[in-house]
Amino acid sequence: MSASVQTLVNQPYKYGFVTDIETVKIPKGLNEEVVRLISAKKEEPEFMLDFRLKAYRKWLTMAEPDWAALGYPEIDYQDIVYYSAPKAQEKKQSLDEVDPALLETFEKLGLPLSEQKRLTNVAVDAVFDSVSIATTFRADLLKHGVVFCSISEAVKEYPELVQKYLGSVVPVGDNYFSALNAAVFSDGSFVYIPKGVKCPMELSTYFRINSADTGQFERTLIIAEDDSQVSYLEGCTAPMFDTNQLHAAVVELVALENADIKYSTVQNWYAGDENGVGGIYNFVTKRGLCKGKNSKISWTQVETGSAITWKYPGCVLVGDNSVGEFYSVALTNNCQEADTGTKMVHVGKNTRSTIISKGISAGRSSNSYRGLVKIGPNAEGARNYSQCDSMLIGDNAAANTFPYIQVQNPGAKVEHEASTSKIGEDQLFYLMQRGISMEDAVSMMISGFCKDVFNQLPMEFAVEADKLLSLKLEGAVG
Amino acid sequence: METVNLTSNSLSPEMQSNSDRVEKQSPAEKRAACLQQLLEISKTDGVAALSELQAHAAALASELAIPSTRDEDWRFTDLSKIVAAQFVAADGKASVSTDAIAGFVLPEARSSRIVFVDGVYNPELSDLSAADNVTVGNSDALATVSKHVAQLPGSEEVFTTLNTATFADVAVVHVAKKAIAETPLHLLFVSTGSNRISQPRCMVVAEASSQVSLIEDYVSLGSAQGGDGSGFSNAVTEIVVEANAQVEHSLIQREAMGSFHIGKTSVIQAQDSRYTNIAVQIGAALSRHNVETHHQGTQVETNLYGLALVAGEQLADTHSNIQYNHPHCQSDQLYKAIATDKGRSVFSGRVGVPKLAQQTSAAQLNRNLLLSNKARVDTKPQLEIIADDVKCSHGATVSQLEDDQVFYLQSRGIDRDSAQHLLIEAFAAEILLKLPVASLRETLTATVTQRTESAI
Amino acid sequence: MGSSEVILSVKGLTASINGTPILKGVDLEVKAGEIHAIMGRNGSGKSTLSKVLAGHPAYEVTGGEVLFHGEDLLELEPEERARKGVFLAFQYPLEIPGVSNLDFLRASYNARRKEQGLEEVDAFDFDDVVEEKLDVVKMDAAFLNRSVNEGFSGGEKKRNEILQMALLEPSLGILDETDSGLDIDALRTVSEGVNQVANENNAMVLITHYQRLLDYIKPGFVHVMYDGRIIKTGGKELALELEEKGYDWIDEKLAAGVA
Ligand SMILES: Nc1ncnc2c1ncn2[C@@H]1O[C@H](COP(=O)(O)OP(=O)(O)O)[C@@H](O)[C@H]1O
Ligand SMILES: [Mg+2]
Repeated sequence: MSASVQTLVNQPYKYGFVTDIETVKIPKGLNEEVVRLISAKKEEPEFMLDFRLKAYRKWLTMAEPDWAALGYPEIDYQDIVYYSAPKAQEKKQSLDEVDPALLETFEKLGLPLSEQKRLTNVAVDAVFDSVSIATTFRADLLKHGVVFCSISEAVKEYPELVQKYLGSVVPVGDNYFSALNAAVFSDGSFVYIPKGVKCPMELSTYFRINSADTGQFERTLIIAEDDSQVSYLEGCTAPMFDTNQLHAAVVELVALENADIKYSTVQNWYAGDENGVGGIYNFVTKRGLCKGKNSKISWTQVETGSAITWKYPGCVLVGDNSVGEFYSVALTNNCQEADTGTKMVHVGKNTRSTIISKGISAGRSSNSYRGLVKIGPNAEGARNYSQCDSMLIGDNAAANTFPYIQVQNPGAKVEHEASTSKIGEDQLFYLMQRGISMEDAVSMMISGFCKDVFNQLPMEFAVEADKLLSLKLEGAVG
Repeated sequence: METVNLTSNSLSPEMQSNSDRVEKQSPAEKRAACLQQLLEISKTDGVAALSELQAHAAALASELAIPSTRDEDWRFTDLSKIVAAQFVAADGKASVSTDAIAGFVLPEARSSRIVFVDGVYNPELSDLSAADNVTVGNSDALATVSKHVAQLPGSEEVFTTLNTATFADVAVVHVAKKAIAETPLHLLFVSTGSNRISQPRCMVVAEASSQVSLIEDYVSLGSAQGGDGSGFSNAVTEIVVEANAQVEHSLIQREAMGSFHIGKTSVIQAQDSRYTNIAVQIGAALSRHNVETHHQGTQVETNLYGLALVAGEQLADTHSNIQYNHPHCQSDQLYKAIATDKGRSVFSGRVGVPKLAQQTSAAQLNRNLLLSNKARVDTKPQLEIIADDVKCSHGATVSQLEDDQVFYLQSRGIDRDSAQHLLIEAFAAEILLKLPVASLRETLTATVTQRTESAI
Repeated sequence: MGSSEVILSVKGLTASINGTPILKGVDLEVKAGEIHAIMGRNGSGKSTLSKVLAGHPAYEVTGGEVLFHGEDLLELEPEERARKGVFLAFQYPLEIPGVSNLDFLRASYNARRKEQGLEEVDAFDFDDVVEEKLDVVKMDAAFLNRSVNEGFSGGEKKRNEILQMALLEPSLGILDETDSGLDIDALRTVSEGVNQVANENNAMVLITHYQRLLDYIKPGFVHVMYDGRIIKTGGKELALELEEKGYDWIDEKLAAGVA
């Protein structure tokens, strides 16, 4: 593969700057005292401290998983700061009081928060290291009964909802990283859509890791009551450091009868340099529970960043006729490793799920799809359709597909399709021989390959995602 | 619980009563004995020009046995009914009238038809007056193509070896360089029943830049014509597709419901050639189709399509195997099965792409329609891909008729039964429409409709 | 004929791949209105010649010159050559997953138009343009919505190449084994397509393995390529002679010539 293929992919990471801002950090390391300290700093009620301690004790008994197709040096959990917040950390009622350096940071990230500039149809919760610094449109949303705030605020203001649903979809002991998250999570978003309400705007959380030695442990909880509807999007970036930062998030979604939750992610954490130095370790547990009849949860993800990604957003389809969807584009380049996919667990009757996964691997990266489709004994009439396509760019990238299918009901219909293709010099030459320039050729191929997934993203972000991929891949081909 | 009668492989009544001896046979011994017996009763004078080859195969066959389900290639298909059955030699002398086969004649190939009865050429029933640009005949026409017989990969397989050792005649199709045979050729193989075992054999050579369409058709005489619905056809067809040649090969197996059919299609393809196989398996109590093609040059194209229909207690098994050896080749496979009653369908599709077969593509799809809870489908894709610059896809589906679709048609005023028939026909049509002649498409569509009646 | 414009002039062209010399001094002159056929064994360098002319980056030109309408072709990027009217129908057309044939054809068509100083055509008008060309190769409009060559049979891929050529109206069409693997109907369609595109202002170079193509397209010149050179040129009777006597005949003649 000629050098130009590689140069196209290797665009500089444009979100790699560090904001110089004074922070309050607790010392590195993790023990029961640290867990208590985090809870105390957040002035949490008793039930939260219990939740955290239970999770911490569980975590101590667990071993880090090693089954995913990933290779990374051992993580020293005592060398991580578990809580870091900008100094003037009291949450301001007016954005005018927020530290201008923070506002500027988010503006640089393309996410203006101030009243004049903010996006008109998207409410944003901005999370900086361990805390939420601002949530726009909170009051407007509340008029519709929609609660959109940081999870810290929710713990204080809606304790009964939090207590009822937190950990109900992802139990504290679900896996090693979810237990760790439950013990030390610092912030994240909380969404509550009351019965019969269609959320009037897109909700969005923007996560920013700023400190070099801080782990980000965010926790998101979205509850959609009967007949409600919401579309939520998260975005993630981090500065370039030559050390690795740990991001271990947990996201729980609950959809009650006829509720519809659409959850989109554009993940662009720092991926490390071309030699694999630095970058985020992104170990995430995301799961949605379609609890009510006819409910629907749809995951869409565009994963382009992180040194290592380990992520399987899933749906537990309990309600009869409920629907789970997973649309994913995962791009890896240089030394990135991604092991991502989904779990669709069919419990109720006539439950349906769709999985569309597109993996693009360039450089020396490795990109694996790992998915589970499980049809339980009572899931009469359940249906699943899975399609996993991989595209290799250059000669040194790897793509793997690991579909696991378990069917315990004979009336179910499960379809799986997989393909692997390659973009190389010859494909490009073919397009160029027809008069198309190399840049156009690459972007045609990438957006064509990903269009089934991009079509699922909210409009504003679909264009962004398309651009993001072209940017990331420029120079990878040719 | 096995009884003497079920396990005896002998024709002789004396042996049948010799229960001591038979009961002591292990299953493996029975399977070996069965094959030896099939070899014994099938023995013919053979084809003089190939006597050495046939003798060699007979020697090999004497070491072989009927495979068991422990054999990975036969994991889903239990041959113990063949081991248990009683067959007699097909002497090739059964008289069959023109009327008896009238129902099988294809108007589109009325005068490009060659007929074999229990594996032996029958000139009276054949009519080759319109077969253009092609040499068609029996073993008398072997001439230059004889060098290919039993030389294709897979010829050492047990049933193929049995056939090679015992065939009495060979159907020969030879298309000369650049010749274009415009009229489809109908190769009609008639089984007369009465527990006869026959060894139909076919050798096809399409020389460079030639083109031909073959319809290989296995039928049994109906009861009105003296057929009793039993019998065993062990058929082998070898096809050599030379450079830039095009062979379209339809294979229809519509033998009687009490019979056994084991068929082999072995193909080698030279550079720039295209081979298309459209296999329809609807007959026989137990049938197996092995189709394999080996690429011997670049830019080879292979298309394998199939439809199996199993009702009652039928079992239909298809094993396909495409072996790539060169860059820039492509294959497409679509196998469909409809299973109703207690029918069983088996599909195994192997695709081998070694390192040197770069820039190839292989697509394989297996779709199954289950019309009853007692029907069963086993599907096993085997992709062995070592080359890294390839495009390979595979898919398998097993489903029932969709209530939503039936309901949709009902809501447009179509009654439930008709709606179900429509959907089943549509499922089958994707394969049947690929057949080159309209009369076969219509006949087979009608058969599908009639045979799935019980499921509706 | 003698006075018509020289479209392509190749002199002493040598080229190598990964340091291995493949073309060892090719000379070829093609004038407007001419159809040339190049035949030769597998591995004689026919595809290499076509790819070098189209500018494939893997090949290194080590000597000689190539003029296209009097301009140095070797200086130009592959897409520039294409826009100026060099069209290569690939021996193995590539599959481009996810990119619809229609989008691809339009991008390519507009790139060529822009070069010619013509206005680009929008999606709506392009439908009409392409509709008309589909007839040339008897392709169904459903092809347009499928990804470029993806899941196409061999014959469909080859017809798609001719469709592109018909659309781009090149000044020089190089067809690398476009006839290989075609059934007789597709061969007729492809040949008719080529005959429709060929006119007194452009030129065609047909690389082929099989004399059969020349029953449908009548070349004025037949060249034999052997070990990276054109070693023999004649009329179409040379193709028949080759078909009949095989390439061993060339070997023998060469051996005799050397002796
Ligand atoms: N990447 C490569 N490296 C080395 N040799 C090559 C490469 N590609 C092609 N060749 C050699 O170049 C010669 C000419 O190939 P080609 O132009 O494809 O021949 P033709 O089209 O006449 O069959 C062949 O001997 C082939 O082995
Ligand atoms: Mg070539």
